[in-house]
Amino acid sequence: MLEQLLIFTRGGLILWTCREIGNALRGSPIDTLIRSCLLEERSGAASYSYDAPGAAYTLKWTFHNELGLVFVAVYQRILHLLYVDELLEMVKDEFSKIYEPKRMVYNDFDDMFQQLKKEAEDLAEKMKKSKQPVKAVNANLGKKQGLGQKGGVDGGNKKKSGDDGNGDEEGNKTKNYGYENGHSNGEHVVNGEVTAVVGANGKENRSSNSGAFDKDKLKKLRGGKNGGKKTNTTAVVSKGPKEEPKKKPRVWNDSAPETKLDFTDPVSENGADDVPDVAMDQGESMMDREEIFSSDSESEEEELGKDAKVETKKTGWFSSMFNSIAGKASLDKADLEPALKALKDRLMTKNVAEEIAEKLCESVAASLEGKKLASFTRISSTVQAAMEEALVRILTPRRSIDIMRDVHAAKDQGKPYVVVFVGVNGVGKSTNLAKVAYWLLQHNVSVMMAACDTFRSGAVEQLRTHARRLQIPIFEKGYEKDPAIVAKEAIQEASRNGSDVVLVDTAGRMQDNEPLMRALSKLIYVNTPDLVLFVGEALVGNDAVDQLSKFNQKLADFSPSPNPRLIDGILLTKFDTIDDKVGAALSMVYISGAPVMFVGCGQSYTDLKKLNVKAIVKTLLK
Amino acid sequence: MDMENLETRVKIQIQKWIVEAQELIQRTPPSQLYAAVAVVGFTILLLILIKLFKRTSSNTIVLTGLSGGGKTILFYQLRDGSSHLGTVTSMEPNEGTFVLHTETTKKGKIKPVHIVDVPGHSRLRAKLDEFLPQAAGVVFVVDAVEFLPNCRAASEYLYEVLTSASVVKKNTPVLILCNKVDKVTAHTKEFIRKQLEKEIDKLRASRTVVSEADVTNEFTLGTPGEAFAFSQCHNKVSIGEASGLTGEITQLEEFIRNLVKA
Ligand SMILES: Nc1nc2c(ncn2[C@@H]2O[C@H](COP(=O)(O)OP(=O)(O)OP(=O)(O)O)[C@@H](O)[C@H]2O)c(=O)[nH]1
Ligand SMILES: [Mg+2]
Repeated sequence: MLEQLLIFTRGGLILWTCREIGNALRGSPIDTLIRSCLLEERSGAASYSYDAPGAAYTLKWTFHNELGLVFVAVYQRILHLLYVDELLEMVKDEFSKIYEPKRMVYNDFDDMFQQLKKEAEDLAEKMKKSKQPVKAVNANLGKKQGLGQKGGVDGGNKKKSGDDGNGDEEGNKTKNYGYENGHSNGEHVVNGEVTAVVGANGKENRSSNSGAFDKDKLKKLRGGKNGGKKTNTTAVVSKGPKEEPKKKPRVWNDSAPETKLDFTDPVSENGADDVPDVAMDQGESMMDREEIFSSDSESEEEELGKDAKVETKKTGWFSSMFNSIAGKASLDKADLEPALKALKDRLMTKNVAEEIAEKLCESVAASLEGKKLASFTRISSTVQAAMEEALVRILTPRRSIDIMRDVHAAKDQGKPYVVVFVGVNGVGKSTNLAKVAYWLLQHNVSVMMAACDTFRSGAVEQLRTHARRLQIPIFEKGYEKDPAIVAKEAIQEASRNGSDVVLVDTAGRMQDNEPLMRALSKLIYVNTPDLVLFVGEALVGNDAVDQLSKFNQKLADFSPSPNPRLIDGILLTKFDTIDDKVGAALSMVYISGAPVMFVGCGQSYTDLKKLNVKAIVKTLLK
Repeated sequence: MDMENLETRVKIQIQKWIVEAQELIQRTPPSQLYAAVAVVGFTILLLILIKLFKRTSSNTIVLTGLSGGGKTILFYQLRDGSSHLGTVTSMEPNEGTFVLHTETTKKGKIKPVHIVDVPGHSRLRAKLDEFLPQAAGVVFVVDAVEFLPNCRAASEYLYEVLTSASVVKKNTPVLILCNKVDKVTAHTKEFIRKQLEKEIDKLRASRTVVSEADVTNEFTLGTPGEAFAFSQCHNKVSIGEASGLTGEITQLEEFIRNLVKA
């Protein structure tokens, strides 16, 4: 049974709901859907799962972009409703016939709806009898919703219907889903992994198109990890080609002549003593400098023009010219395809992870299909504008990233503010930790470092050198100690000596290194830091997704807490070495939902910046 | 025929025109030229004046505040005098130019108001910057029931509004509207005002520390050295109550009609 069907405007006004059904929904599934799926550029997915006390709903939706309407159906997840997609499409067709922007009351739609519902149910019934229910529905769905790009969406789609909230069993079953749907492309193995994990929690999320462990899911992990824990690990299938743990010999060496901040080598420790101890005079951190970003609108337009020209050449300029003057009836998938493809490729040349570029394009497509093209606009520029809006939305932090405010708040409570730096090997954790320390110092915040990388030899010395140059206390206990304990003692020490902030350095670790990930999870669980900062290289491409999602996943899996702490901020390093390949920023934010709080962009202590969202978006679309 | 061909032809044509224009200028006597320049200058001046005049008499009121505060409900109460079937989280702004619903029965010609309801979801905050510059007044809607859990977020958002360039430069009046007072658990507007002031005071401290340059807006709030109070703002900041659900919105309407005279 359908729980509810709603029709509302993108502005948020409900135009029609089915009163016959009349069930009050538990929790607020619709608002949650909008906030954590539709507004997070995940509307390309085919359904969304909502859980509240006493409720497990699946939501499906479709847009009428030209009229700015949204149609959402809500049903109990345990029910295997096959007709929902059809029903939504039919409702959309019929409702758009009677819709007028001025009109607010649509009681007369009630009868029509009952009729449509009956039709849809009959159809589903018939299909069931003809013994190929799943495929038929999915084929239709792909076409109708216009988002079945790769079938990944459908794959997930099916699995939910089987997800009876029966955790353990579910975890094992999920692997087969992709197959069950007749989609047996390699990606689905990955999909199986993700869903297995989530399914085990009695929750699952639709949007896992191609194995991304995305944020909604993380949230769910955060939300509840009750029971079924075993399956979490059993069903894990490792993802495609993985880069070997590589310890790069300080990548920045080749781009910059001198590595002023590199004290990695313990041997150089003596040498480092010669370095002037006081590093406090290096000028203001770039965090404090207003970035002047001249929006060179002229060249932008020119660029757009050029783009469009390429586009027109391909499609034959006459028809395109005609379309642009007349204003095309309404955009369909085929119209958007070439422009989206071009955009996706462009994003990927900027180093955006492929699956993320893909999902973004799906989401943009979902928001444009059916829209009328305004006169004198080109499809390519319409798509570009929609993508630009989407990118700005993603990169705009969902919460305030005012660390200073948080530091002061902690101070008011008489507690030190604890930041844990985590990340894979060789990304520049310690160096950027020092930069953050420098920035804090400049704002009269007293800082203490905690050397909790008790794993890699030389790490403690490296940090000690930074501490000496910055003249700040460092807490160290040598090697071989449990880093969680070292951190705990460091925090106690900071409370005693009145330090405002404790910056905890941890050992770099590959996301697949189970013992080390377990140790990290413990460190975070034991010390409940105020900020878990993921340090990542701006150089990474597709691996960004893997790193961040695995880090979050492992932190969740290994934590004894039902509400495990996950990554809540990102520090992007080596930003000066990537030129216009700024895609990692987007990939990381999209996959983790955490904002980029700092950007490391050079060799000296002052080279720490905030992320300039506008500049990034502009570069991505260039 | 392809594009390049067309382009070169257009270029040639334009060049021809330029040459002709130059010849024309050389042939006409200077006095006539000066007159022409004067006329052009005068027109531009006039246009600028009109634009300035228009801006001062803006009839735009912007509804803003955190998601779930009740902006959309208030928007429809103002427009239709009804909350219809209710609302869900907005994904796009609601915009409309209309005579307030309570005024539709009045006789005579009434000036319509342009009201914009900007979604509160933080991903959509960028939209606010589009509308603030044309605002004659800003209504910051606060959920008086669920106030405490959202106090800090609301304060940060309000701080942003109060220090945004256009609000500061144009002294845009701000009404802090405590919504949902139909519920018995709603906090009083006095309580809410105090909490907001306290929170903004803290924010101000941390922001001025950082504000040497890295915060995007360079404006600071209130009098340094004193605890922050809304009365210190250069623009008028008032506080009111409303219930979007029951349609109890007189204070909101008064605020609007004070700024956009009927
Ligand atoms: N009790 C009560 N509930 C209200 C009142 N005003 C709004 N609500 C409820 O609050 C919820 C949110 O209202 P909206 O108008 O959609 O909120 P909004 O500010 O537009 O939120 P966004 O669009 O997300 O920014 C709805 O469920 C309303 O029914 C009120 O005066 N009293
Ligand atoms: Mg709204």
